[in-house]
Amino acid sequence: MPLSHREISPIETKVNGRQNVLEKRGKQVEFRRSGDLEEALTSLAELGDKAQVLAGGTDVMIQLERGEIFPETLVHIERVEGMRDIAENGRLTLGALATHIDLAQSPVLCDRYKSVAHAASLIGGWQTQAVGTIGGNVCNASPAADLLPPLLVHGTNVLLVSKDRGEREVSLADFVVGRRTIAREPDELVTGFSLDLSDGRTADVYKKVGRRGAMEVAIVGLAIRLSVDQAGTINDARIAVCSVAPVPFRAQAAEQALLGTKANGKETGSAAALLLEQVEPIDDVRATANYRRMVLPRIFESAVADCYLLAAKDLS
Amino acid sequence: MTLIGTSTVRTDAVEKVRGKSIYGVDVEIPGMLHGCLLRSPVPAGTIKRLDTTAAIAMPGVHAVCSSADQPDTLAGWILCEQRLFATEHVRYEGEPIAVVVADSREQAKAAVAAIDLQIEEEPGVDLVTAMADDPATPLVHPEWETYRPAAGPETDHPRHRNIAAQMSSEPDDVDAIFEQAELIVEDELISNRQYQAYIEPKSAVAVFAEGRYTIHTAAQYPFNVRDRVAQFLGVRPSSVRVVGHTIGGGFGGKLDAALEPIAAFMAEKTGRPVRIANNRTEDLLTCPSRENAVIKIRTALDKHGKMAARELLCDMDNGAYSAESIWLASLPLHIAKGVYQVGPTRVISRLHYTNTAPTGAFRGVGGTYLYAAVERHMDSIADSLGIDRRQYRLDNLLGDGDTLLNGQVLDDASTLEKSFERLDEILPWDKTNGSKGPYQGAGLGGCIWLTNPMPGQATVKVNEDGTITVITSANDNGSGAVTMGITQIVAEEFGVGPGEVHITSPDTDVTGYDAGSQGSRTTHIVGRAALDASLKAKEQLFEVAAGMLEASPADMDLVDGEIGVVGAPGSRISLAEVAAAATWTIGPIVAAASYTTPAIDFNPACASGLLFPTMPTPTYHAHMAVVEVDPITGQIEVQRYAVVQDVGRVINPTGVRGQIQGAVAQGIGHTLYESLQIKDCRYLERTLENYRLPLAVDIPTVEFITLEIPDSEGPYGAKGVAEPPIALVSAVLANAVSDAIGAPITKIPITPEDVLEAIGG
Amino acid sequence: MNLASTSTLVNGRSVTIIGDGATTLLDFLRDSLGLRGTKEGCSEGECGACTVLVDGRPVDSCLYPALAAEGRIIETIEGMDEGSHLSSIQAALVATGGIQCGFCTPGFVMTLTALLQKQPNPNRNEIVSALAGNLCRCTGYSQIVEAAVSLSELEEES
Repeated sequence: MPLSHREISPIETKVNGRQNVLEKRGKQVEFRRSGDLEEALTSLAELGDKAQVLAGGTDVMIQLERGEIFPETLVHIERVEGMRDIAENGRLTLGALATHIDLAQSPVLCDRYKSVAHAASLIGGWQTQAVGTIGGNVCNASPAADLLPPLLVHGTNVLLVSKDRGEREVSLADFVVGRRTIAREPDELVTGFSLDLSDGRTADVYKKVGRRGAMEVAIVGLAIRLSVDQAGTINDARIAVCSVAPVPFRAQAAEQALLGTKANGKETGSAAALLLEQVEPIDDVRATANYRRMVLPRIFESAVADCYLLAAKDLS
Repeated sequence: MTLIGTSTVRTDAVEKVRGKSIYGVDVEIPGMLHGCLLRSPVPAGTIKRLDTTAAIAMPGVHAVCSSADQPDTLAGWILCEQRLFATEHVRYEGEPIAVVVADSREQAKAAVAAIDLQIEEEPGVDLVTAMADDPATPLVHPEWETYRPAAGPETDHPRHRNIAAQMSSEPDDVDAIFEQAELIVEDELISNRQYQAYIEPKSAVAVFAEGRYTIHTAAQYPFNVRDRVAQFLGVRPSSVRVVGHTIGGGFGGKLDAALEPIAAFMAEKTGRPVRIANNRTEDLLTCPSRENAVIKIRTALDKHGKMAARELLCDMDNGAYSAESIWLASLPLHIAKGVYQVGPTRVISRLHYTNTAPTGAFRGVGGTYLYAAVERHMDSIADSLGIDRRQYRLDNLLGDGDTLLNGQVLDDASTLEKSFERLDEILPWDKTNGSKGPYQGAGLGGCIWLTNPMPGQATVKVNEDGTITVITSANDNGSGAVTMGITQIVAEEFGVGPGEVHITSPDTDVTGYDAGSQGSRTTHIVGRAALDASLKAKEQLFEVAAGMLEASPADMDLVDGEIGVVGAPGSRISLAEVAAAATWTIGPIVAAASYTTPAIDFNPACASGLLFPTMPTPTYHAHMAVVEVDPITGQIEVQRYAVVQDVGRVINPTGVRGQIQGAVAQGIGHTLYESLQIKDCRYLERTLENYRLPLAVDIPTVEFITLEIPDSEGPYGAKGVAEPPIALVSAVLANAVSDAIGAPITKIPITPEDVLEAIGG
Repeated sequence: MNLASTSTLVNGRSVTIIGDGATTLLDFLRDSLGLRGTKEGCSEGECGACTVLVDGRPVDSCLYPALAAEGRIIETIEGMDEGSHLSSIQAALVATGGIQCGFCTPGFVMTLTALLQKQPNPNRNEIVSALAGNLCRCTGYSQIVEAAVSLSELEEES
């Protein structure tokens, strides 16, 4: 059932008894700064769903202004130490406060997790990337969130902490459960993400379809991660896509179709067809479902070709 | 060293780059209150309940007003159809229903939210419905017959029910020629709206004192705002004073009043200055955007491949109120032939009321889609005949002495041929087409454009320190017409640097009438007025200097800021000395001049309902573009864009470049990136996130050549520059994309979806 | 009452910010400090007319909470010119004609200032990429980009 995405107009008012959007944010909003993680967790334990977590603010402040959210308190976590690191240690960990510029310029991401770095570099412009964070992008959980497909293909887990229950880890696929809906308890804070390590003969790409050359909300976003064996045969294939369903997801049938192949045209075409079967694109303000269905297999084939070349580049 | 043709720095550049300019949104009057509008959330309906009791009681609120409080007046630029607030019926989403004025913006917003509004929504009329002209279609204006034209009953024009204006030109022989045609080619084009999207949203600050209203606003046409406020409030225009401030872009969207009438009304109601400002969504939803239109064009070709007759039908979307659009309905007559020899042509243009935001002027107005239709049709004809697209155009171009459909003689239409020749120097047609890649396409076209003829006035004052002040309500909505054009012309006359010329901000109390920054008129009309005024001031100076030098005024000249006897190098006196001497003997040196373009001969019987009869001070243009489409995504890249433009005389090369580059960028935006779709009479796009303005990465550097074919009336021969470069952009891009994908383009904007559909697979 | 206060540096001057969580840095700069050179164009982080520098990074002040600026170094357009001398990017924009209505200009100055501080010799692609978050409706961008290019010592790409 296609979802309709209706922008909320700030000029809406109470008509025929429908609740007024502006009315909900009548009072002032408290700004509570957190000096460290403990302070942040204490605030969240105290306030629960009366709080909104705020890092860079590039999504939250728009929603606040439009009356789409109406918290009593903004819990500001931007200064919390130790939540911005990028490190490899069993898994690749990304602190939730890593900004999009941190991700885009990270040497380890640019080397072996290119889809993550590249997707981060495509979110908004410099102003957004300077303060916007991976935690914010994931928790906002837009169906078009650029970081979600790359994180999905790397088997990402979300790390959460609460004052009362300590740490918890959940797969990203189980965390983003619906359009703008995440499985976070009101007293929990997302502190970071852990990704499957990437080794040699693994490569990943992210492709984004928009209209202008930058600043776009993805019409289609696609991440591919491929690993090949010494013979150049694909032995691991991961495909994740956004903006073609309420939630970004892994396209398992298409992944299966690539396994054991060398991604020649016919094989990739079959996988593309399976991918198309799994998506539920809608007409929205940015593009039609028809266009999404036309562009998806094309961008898929291009992405697989690029990714395969990168994965197999060291083979003779 | 002459200033004319020199890239002097615009005199407002430094203050702008330092962030010091005061724009409309920056104006602050001590004690000002803040207004917020309750706007209709539905496109059409009947107001059943409007209870403001709760709002009035909210903190900080000074007043809440609606139709219950408004004067019994009807206002409108051409036809008086509009009341201050929606009264019983709402006609478009965003139409003002009530206003709250409070101590702060937040308090006003909160109080608006507390107004109890109940509307019984009704089905709205959109363009498709209106075009069907079914007697059962609801009337957007049930009282349309009672409306009166603003300029008096004798100026009324053909209009009927949901047709707000109709212009028809129907020569007798058209049908007969079609019957005899060797080949008939038919095309259609649908063009969507375009939002001006100036970066500064609209605002107004109004003060009421001693029976007069003073409005501070960044409007392109202060005198029009004055007249509109006066109409809405039921007072004489002289009871209203409009003070202009730096404008953060307008492009036609700020020519009419917007927030000013309600701000003025509330200033009187509360006895305090009142500020009202749009947020971006309000501005987008209610701005008089370039109208959407449907054009059907067909041409009868004779056995020589000549265009023997034509029919062009144009249906334009007026939106809920007319404003200037009634005049614009005449434009199709002037563009139906394009720049080509075409036999008898039937043109029928209808402007339809719909339950959508009123449309209006955006740079190039309907010229953008009309030229797109005509130039697409030319490619279509050339392809049908198997003739090269450029060659077919050259073989059929208008020349000197040819006429437009209104009978207006084009004395110098041979400029068109020159334009196409020069265009080939930038982007050679044959070579470009010969070396195209599989996904590249090339398109070209030509146009004629006008220079708006409407009146302007300038008073030149020679100050006692030798600087010059020009008092005028001419404004510059960014183009530089004032801070380059008029400044350079006056500086040149007095032999002083541009920094010695100061031009006042618009003030309708102080200056003569000015018709605003529209139609590229300001340098041409007000530059001419300022030039004439300067010459008069110089005469006064020479009289005084002659006395000081004991010479004859006829022997004096003014060079490099000094006055003396021609040919006598010694005893020259500075401008400052003469001006000071004058002040204390004959009185201060002040001279005024007015100017409007003289009327042009045309055939008044050529059409009925022709309210915009001619194309005054015409200029000629040719454009060409090369595009490449991406076979994976269907995205379209404009790789090269070339312009040849007849400007009369280049006053400032940097300024001219800025107008050409900026206009083409807006045209690229309309054609490839921006989208203002209407569904159920509502806009789908509502913020700058989804109303996609092109970015630096999306726009190529335009390559251009200017032709200087002087106009006998214009200052130094200058003609209008800023508007015409947008008129051909949709046309040549549509032709180029069509060439790239091998399929016709029949709508603007062109989307990647259109491309992928065409290239298939 | 949910107002809080904190202090920060704006154009080198220590100021006290008073606001609630929804008070944006833009509102604070314009309404409380009277610094009106920073402009409101969209309130949604799209147009960049509100760009200021926060610790040297370009930020959309319409989306940046004023109270989040605690202890940060804020620079606005008013801090860019050195008394009566324009900064090099300001002078370059004046020279190339990259200013028409000027409403977007302060935002462009701030972003380009940040770019040139980070990368003194940017190439055209780097300039254009850095400007993705700054909209201009008047100029069509070329003369703005050329202003930045004129300050770069790299050869122009053909």
